[in-house]
Amino acid sequence: MRRALIAAIASMALALPAAAQQVGGRMTLQAYAGIFRDNYTQVVVNPFTSARGTQVQYHDGGTSAQMLGTLRAQKADPQIDVTIMDVTTAAIACAEGLVERIDASVLPVIGELDQMARDSGGACGPAVTYDHLVMIYDTRSVTPAPTRWEAMWDPAQRGRVALSAPPNIQGLALTAILAHAASGNWRNVGAAMPRLRELAPNVQTFDPNPDGYTLILNDQVRFATGWNARAQLYRDQSQGRIGVVLPEEGTAFQVNTINLVAGSKNRQQALAFMAHALSAEAQKAFTERMYYGPTNPRAQVSAEAMGRTALAPEFRNRVIPLDWNEMVRLRDNWNQRWRREVIAASGR
Amino acid sequence: MTHLVLDRLTRRFPGAAQAAVAGISLELPKGALLALLGPSGCGKTTTLRMIAGLEKPDEGRVLVAGRDVTALPPHRRNMGVVFQSYALFPHMSAAGNVAFGLEMRGVARAERAERVRQALALVGLEELAARRPRQLSGGQQQRVALARALAIQPDLLLLDEPLSALDAKLREGVRDEIRALQQRVGATTVFVTHDQTEALAMADLVAVMNQGRVEQLASPEEVFERPATRFVATFVGRAARLSGQVEAPGTIRCGEALLRAAETPATGAVEIFIRPHHVRPVAAAENLLPARVLRRTYTGEVVSLECETPAGRLLAELPGGVPEARATAGDTLSLGFAAADLRVFPA
Amino acid sequence: MSAWLLMLPAVLLMAAGFLYPVALLARISLNRTNDMGAMEPAHSLETLGRLVEDEFTWELAWNTATLAASSALMATALALPVALLIRGAAPRWRGLLSLMAVAPLLVSGTARIVGWMAILGDRGLINAVLAGLGLAEEPLRLINNWTGVRIGLVESLMPYACLVLIAGLGRLDARLEEAAATLGATRFRTFLRVTLPLAAPALLAAFLLTFVLGVSAFVTPRLMGGGRVFVVATEIFDLALETVDWPAAAAMAMLLLGALAAAMLLRGLLGRRAA
Repeated sequence: MRRALIAAIASMALALPAAAQQVGGRMTLQAYAGIFRDNYTQVVVNPFTSARGTQVQYHDGGTSAQMLGTLRAQKADPQIDVTIMDVTTAAIACAEGLVERIDASVLPVIGELDQMARDSGGACGPAVTYDHLVMIYDTRSVTPAPTRWEAMWDPAQRGRVALSAPPNIQGLALTAILAHAASGNWRNVGAAMPRLRELAPNVQTFDPNPDGYTLILNDQVRFATGWNARAQLYRDQSQGRIGVVLPEEGTAFQVNTINLVAGSKNRQQALAFMAHALSAEAQKAFTERMYYGPTNPRAQVSAEAMGRTALAPEFRNRVIPLDWNEMVRLRDNWNQRWRREVIAASGR
Repeated sequence: MTHLVLDRLTRRFPGAAQAAVAGISLELPKGALLALLGPSGCGKTTTLRMIAGLEKPDEGRVLVAGRDVTALPPHRRNMGVVFQSYALFPHMSAAGNVAFGLEMRGVARAERAERVRQALALVGLEELAARRPRQLSGGQQQRVALARALAIQPDLLLLDEPLSALDAKLREGVRDEIRALQQRVGATTVFVTHDQTEALAMADLVAVMNQGRVEQLASPEEVFERPATRFVATFVGRAARLSGQVEAPGTIRCGEALLRAAETPATGAVEIFIRPHHVRPVAAAENLLPARVLRRTYTGEVVSLECETPAGRLLAELPGGVPEARATAGDTLSLGFAAADLRVFPA
Repeated sequence: MSAWLLMLPAVLLMAAGFLYPVALLARISLNRTNDMGAMEPAHSLETLGRLVEDEFTWELAWNTATLAASSALMATALALPVALLIRGAAPRWRGLLSLMAVAPLLVSGTARIVGWMAILGDRGLINAVLAGLGLAEEPLRLINNWTGVRIGLVESLMPYACLVLIAGLGRLDARLEEAAATLGATRFRTFLRVTLPLAAPALLAAFLLTFVLGVSAFVTPRLMGGGRVFVVATEIFDLALETVDWPAAAAMAMLLLGALAAAMLLRGLLGRRAA
C-alpha cells in the first residue's frame, strides 16, 4: 500500500517536468515532399510529437511557388499552420501578409540564430535550412574528379551538360556565381553572359527532366547543377556514382525559411514547432541526416556532416554574398538575356 | 447467243457454317434480263457482287462474252452497277456522277460532255444535271445511278434491289421504265430482288434462289405456273397447301376426297399446292369438290374465298364481277380445278 | 423543359469546372505584381498591356501557332492511313485495332518521354543505328529542341486524330468506293477522287481538334524541349510556378483563351459562309 503510494508520487514527479512542456493538440506543416519529407519527419517532426504530444499533419506542398499558391488560396480560412519554403517565395508571402511577422520576443529561439538566418526572413520567419548550389557529375566517366565549374566547359563534354535556366533559381544562382567569379560582383550579369554563351554548345538541356541526378544515372549527361543536400543523398544512394563538388569558383546559398501562417488556428502548437525546428538539437539532427547547413550555430554537428555543407570552414569563403531579395528585381532581365544570348546560342 | 456464264460459282464467308453461294451455274443470252429472286440471305446479292468483282469467289468462274473475268478487279470489268442505296457520289453533281466512269476511261472532255448529256437524257434528267444528289428525290437519284451505270456502255448491267428504296407508289412506274430502258439499250442485265412481282414483271429469266442455290431457273410464267420445287411453290405466289397420300400414280387421297393430278410420285405422303386462280366455281372439272365459304375478302379486282372442302382448306380467287363472287361466309359452292394445275411434291 | 433539366448536371459541371476558374483567372489578371514579386490587388489592365507590348509575347504566339499547326497537320496526315486501315479491317478486328490506335493515350506523359529519350537521345536508338552504319559523325539532335517537341507532339496528338478519323470515316459509305471501282477507278484514283474528298470534313475536324490540343500542349514542350522551346503554355507555367507572377500568368492565359475563342468564331463564320 505504502509502496504503491510512493510509486505513484514518484511517477507524478517524473511526469511533472514533461507535463509542463506538453502542448498537445494538432497542427499542419507545409513543406517539400519526397526525401525532404521522409527525413524531416523522422528526425525533426517525430521527436517533436513525442516530446510535446502534438500531432503534426505533414502537407506535401510541392514547389515553393505551389506552397505560396496554397497559402493564397486559403487566405480566408488557413488550413496550414507552419510553412517551410524558399526565401524568395517566403518574402512574397510576407509582403502579402500571408505569414506573420515574428521576432525573438515572440519566439526566443530566433535570438540563437546566426545573423544571416535572422536577416533572411526580413520581418517574417527566419531561415531554417541552408543549402547551396553544387556541381554534380558522373564519377564513372569524369576523371580526374573535377574541382571547378570550369570542367563543364571542356569541349569533350559537348551535349553532356544539364543546366536549369532561369527563372529556375539554380540558373539564377549559377549566373550570379559566374558573375561574381568574373567581376567580383554577383549582380554583374554582363560578366557572366560570355561564359554562359561558351558553355551553351555543351548543354544537352536547359530544363532537366525529371532532374539532373536521373539524367546522369541514365547516361544522358555527365554534369548538372544541384542543391547540395539532395545531391549528398543521391551520392550516397548511388554508391558514389554521382559526385558532388562545391566548386572553387564559388557557390551561393539557397535558404529555406520557416513561417507562421497568418490566422493559424493552432498558433500555440505552431510556435512550439518552430521553436523546436530552430533548436540546436533539431538543427543538428537534420544536418546530420540530410546535410542542410544549420541556421542555429549552437547545433553541435559532427565534423563529418558539417564537412558536407557549405558551412565547413574550408568552404565558407566560397559562398558569394548573394541577396535573393535583390535577385527578385534582377530576375526578369537575367531571364531575357539567357533566352536571347545563351539558349539561342546553344545551337540545337 | 450466250453472254454471261456463271460456272459453279461458290462463296464461303469465313466463320459461316454454310456457303453463302454454293456452286451456282447459269447462262444468260445477250440482251436478256435475269432476276435473282429469293429471300434475304439466299446469296443473291453475293452472287451479283461476285459478277461485279466486288467479292472474290472461292470456286467457280464468271465468263462474259466468252472471256473469263474471274480474276479481274472490278475496275477492269466494265460493268455498270446500280447499288441498292444508289451510292451516288455526294460531292459531285448529277452530271459529275455520270461523267466519272467516262473520265476514268480517259474519254476526252468534249465527248464526255456529250455522252453525259445523252445518258441523262435517256433517264429524262437533263435539266437536273447540275444538282447534287441530296437535292434530288429518291426516284431522281435512282435514275442518275442508272444513267451513271449506262454511260460507260457496260458489258453487263447489274442492279441490286434498285426499287427497294422507293415509295410503293413510285415502284411500279420506275420498274416499267427500267425494263423499257433496258430493252431499248439492249443491255444484258442481272437484277437482284426479293420481290416476286418485280421479278416476274421485269425479267426474261428468273432464278429463284434459296440457301445459296438456284432452285429454279426459268421464265416468269414457268416459275409461277410450274414451280419446280416446294420452295419455289411456297416462295412465289400464294397457294393452298394440302397434305395427302398417293393411292395410285395420278390419284391422291386427300382427307375424305380423292384428287387427280397430272404428275405424282409413285407412292408415299405428298404435299399439294393449288394456286387460288386455278380454283373456280364450276359444275364440271377433273377435280370437283363441295365447299363451304369460311371467309370472303374483297379487294376490288378480285374476291378471295377461303373455303372448307373434304380435301382441306382451299383458296379460290374469282374476278370481281362473276355471280359466285357474291358468296358470303356460310354459303356452299362447288369448286373445281384441273389435274394439270396441281403441283405435287413428296412431303 | 425536361431537356433543360437533363442538361443541368452538365451546365453545373461546366460552371464549376470551367467558368468559375476562368472568371477567377480573369480577376487575377487585373491584379499587379510589385517589384518585390508580391501580388497587389488592383483593377488594372496594366499587366495585360505589358504583355501585349512585349515582343516576346508575340514570338511565343507565333511559336505556339506554328508548332500546333505543323504538329496537327502531321498527326492528321499520319492518322489517315491508320484510320483507313481500321475501316477496311474485318469488323471483329476493328475494335482491337481502334484500341491499339488510341493506346498511347493510356501511357503517362513521363513514361512517354523516357521512351522517346531512349529512341531520340544523342546516344539513343536512332543515333546508335546511324553511328553503327557510319552515316553520321555527330549525333543527330532529335530531342531537347524543337524537332523533339514536334516528334513528341505529333505522337501524342495522333490518337486524337485517329479517334476523330475512325468515327468520321466510319460514316463514309464503303459502297461509294465500290461504285467508283465498278466505274473503272483504280484504288489510287478512288482514294483521290472519292475517299479523300468525302473524308475532308473528318480531316478538318481532326486537324482542328489536334490544333487546339497542340496550342494548349504543355507536357511535351516542357519535357522534350530541353528548355529551348518557348510556347505560351510553358511560359504560363514559368510565370505561375517559377517567377510566381500570377497576374502575368493569368493575363497570358486570358490572351490564349481569347485567341482560341476568336479562332473558333472565325471558323464558325467561315463554315456558315461555306454552307
